[in-house]
Amino acid sequence: MQSLVQTLARINGYIALIAGIMLLIAVIAILADVAMRAFGHPLGGTDELSGYVMAIATAWGASYALTERAHVRIELIRNKLVPAGRAWIDLLSLSALSITAIVIGWRGWGVLASTLTNDARANTALATPLAWPQTLWFMGWLWFAISAIILLASVMVFMVKRDWSAVDEAAGFKGEL
Amino acid sequence: QDSLSVVGSWSGLPLHKNYEAPFWTTSLPDASGGTLEVVLTTHDQMGISGGDVFRMMSQGVFDIGMTAADYAVSDSAALEGLDVPLVASDADEAKAALDAARPMMNDIFETVFNAHVIGTAPYPAQIVFCNAPITGLADLKGLKVRASGRMTANVLEGLNAEAVTMAFGEVPGALQRGVIDCAVTGAGSGYGSGWWEVSTHLLPLALGGWDPVVAAIRMDRWNAMNPDMQQTLTTAFVEQIEVPAWAEAQANIPTEIACLTGGDECPLGDTRNMTLVEVTPADEELVKDLLITKILPEWSERAGGDWGQRWNDTVGVATGVSFVAN
Amino acid sequence: MILFTTTGLFTLLLASIPVGIIMILLSIALDTFFSPFPLMRGLGQVVWSSSNSGTLIAIPFFVLLGEILVRSGVANRTYNALNSWLSWLPGGLIHANIATSTLFSATSGSSVATAATVATVATPQGDRLGYDPRLFTGAIAAGGTLGIMIPPSINLIVYGFLTETSIPRLFLAGLLPGVLLALLFMAIVIALCVWKPSLGGQRPNYTWEQRLRGLPDLLPVLGLFTTIIVTIYAGIATPTESAALGVVFALIIAALNQTVTFSMLNSALRGTVKTTSMIMLVVIGAYVLNFALTALGISRQLQQLLEGLGLGAYGTLLVIVLIYIVLGFFIETLSLMVATIPIVVPIIESLGFDKIWFGILMIVLIEMALITPPVGLNLYVVQSVRKRGKMSDVIAGALPFVLIMLVMVGLLILIPGLALWLPDTL
Ligand code: NA
Ligand code: NA
Repeated sequence: MQSLVQTLARINGYIALIAGIMLLIAVIAILADVAMRAFGHPLGGTDELSGYVMAIATAWGASYALTERAHVRIELIRNKLVPAGRAWIDLLSLSALSITAIVIGWRGWGVLASTLTNDARANTALATPLAWPQTLWFMGWLWFAISAIILLASVMVFMVKRDWSAVDEAAGFKGEL
Repeated sequence: QDSLSVVGSWSGLPLHKNYEAPFWTTSLPDASGGTLEVVLTTHDQMGISGGDVFRMMSQGVFDIGMTAADYAVSDSAALEGLDVPLVASDADEAKAALDAARPMMNDIFETVFNAHVIGTAPYPAQIVFCNAPITGLADLKGLKVRASGRMTANVLEGLNAEAVTMAFGEVPGALQRGVIDCAVTGAGSGYGSGWWEVSTHLLPLALGGWDPVVAAIRMDRWNAMNPDMQQTLTTAFVEQIEVPAWAEAQANIPTEIACLTGGDECPLGDTRNMTLVEVTPADEELVKDLLITKILPEWSERAGGDWGQRWNDTVGVATGVSFVAN
Repeated sequence: MILFTTTGLFTLLLASIPVGIIMILLSIALDTFFSPFPLMRGLGQVVWSSSNSGTLIAIPFFVLLGEILVRSGVANRTYNALNSWLSWLPGGLIHANIATSTLFSATSGSSVATAATVATVATPQGDRLGYDPRLFTGAIAAGGTLGIMIPPSINLIVYGFLTETSIPRLFLAGLLPGVLLALLFMAIVIALCVWKPSLGGQRPNYTWEQRLRGLPDLLPVLGLFTTIIVTIYAGIATPTESAALGVVFALIIAALNQTVTFSMLNSALRGTVKTTSMIMLVVIGAYVLNFALTALGISRQLQQLLEGLGLGAYGTLLVIVLIYIVLGFFIETLSLMVATIPIVVPIIESLGFDKIWFGILMIVLIEMALITPPVGLNLYVVQSVRKRGKMSDVIAGALPFVLIMLVMVGLLILIPGLALWLPDTL
């Protein structure tokens, strides 16, 4: 089970790297646009495409932040508890996150479904078929939900084994920021 | 006791403050004899984008949505035909064009958003503020123009100008620093947001269209209403929002332009001294040519079906513009 | 419903559930229990529209810039160079903490990142030279908060995005108050250390030659700041574009320092994605909550409650300031901002106050929230970097700076020009 958590973390690390490279490409595209504008031949559309990059990177990055235990949480009561208490808090927190992640994924599908039905296109000169960016975006949130469920299942197994440190390792707080 | 949840247009615009708010929260409940309760908010207060209003309404998130039809064109290219930039030169013409398009509008709202159209209302005409000396539409060539919407971008392309997208709040600074040369908004909101401080020339052509607002109600909600209530709602909307708001829009344009360009009187405050660029027959010729040869054919291609022909038969007849549909 | 929302909020916060998730959960609960309409059918649309933004992409760019800079070894040299100029002052090294924070704030968009950077280079030195850990660490936590006041600032980008105000103007407005805050921080350190010299530690001596030789070490950070700011105000670039330019500039600095490697880029990019998603989950959560609160009319009720107090413009403003101070003790700062802006800013505007000015005032309050217990992110950051001693040391050490921030709030209300003069002049 521990190795499953580690594998998940590793996969999410690669996903984050890809998302990061996508951001880097956006940097280059934006600068190319600035440079071409100086010569009077702007590329145009970078603002729109940056928006899609942002939405997609956010969605896929959410699962990396999850396995890195980086989402903003308040430690106030938790850090006054014994390890078993902390593990229960982490289980509660992860359950809440998983439910929410499933709802986001489900509602995200609703967005993509409407877009597919209406063959929706961006209200811009590019008229980008919104199904493209929204498919990548939806898959990111879907993966967030899947990651959360895998993590939750693992944590439940650790709880049964009363392996508090494994729970902490999978769903606790990370020391450094 | 019946309850309606309504999402109105921009909370900051006079249309909302002077017409929508009193109508939905007071007049309509009164007209219903106290059997109707209305909860009113606006899309900007909810933090949702204008393009999401009709989508969410059709999903049942609320009953009635009011927003510019132009925002919803993502979900239906045919909808762009309701507000073709530059096709109408004053509010009366814009209203006539929109009335002619009403059957098209009804069909689009029914099929795409599963909704019934209650009525329409005007946003102000989206005219051109430039921080560059221009003498007419043709001078936009080579300039960077902040505008939103696909069709306006196509028009700018046709004029060999560059369409730039940026947040409304960034426009004054961008005009001042020369990041953009021109920007499009209503005369009143340009006055209110201080665009006259950072631009010199005003071209009173509706380059950004008239941005008509459509009020629509989800079909199942509409069908569940008794016919008397349907009648009351429709009549009251037309009498208290549609007719007076369009009349006011027509009356306001000369006043607001005078406010910006050094007229004698200005009810909004001090007059400003932008240069008014007279619209010439040459401009109108250019517009017509562009619409017929490029904008409308491209649109009818995008929209597919027989929308191009339907447009010619309705809006085209009302405005005297006709093109060869796909 | 107001009671339900606030109780729910605090209970879930104490249960250590991620803040962004709490806001979405609350919205789902409000929808289930109170709404006659299926509000959450709109959830996906809200998530898409609030993250699909060419303006907000400036956030990951500024984060990436900071990630690269931290790994380029610039921080250490900057710290030493500033120290050589400031160590003679009463308080010695503590001034280098504040000055380095100020300088890094001018390239970093985040307070947490600024505090973490400075804490990493400063704490070993402070321990070595025997400084009182309280004032020494408190200064880092407080100095770090300048990261969101001095441009660039992620929080100001979010504020501008939500209130439709110009981000370049907000950036300019933050500059003077930010520098003034830094000077006031240094002033109180001098005052405290003159009054009680044991608060300071050993003050290293530097020759003029050493000081001058250190000056070139300040160039990378100053150059980066100039690049970001000048391109915006010269009309060459939007904030997003200048952030992209800053990323490339930071890469060049790192390359000159021969610190660009594949593993460095790898961790910088991953770190960026992590931080961005962390921030965006909070932003999205606050968006969803606002959507639910507005649809249910709670936002309007809260507004009417505030307006109904009949306190006049300044009275209402003071109440709002007090609310932020109190909420700032307990609530994470970004969510505090995003969740309250849609309710508070319309009131502020209707009272006749300037939106840009209020943005800066709010930033001071947010800075304060970052260093007040029990929930103060910068306190945690400094504590977790130094990995020893007690959290209460950092909390005590930050206290004098909280007082300075209160003074700053007063100054901004009395002299709005502190924020508005620069954007109005340039
Ligand atoms: Na900063
Ligand atoms: Na706090």
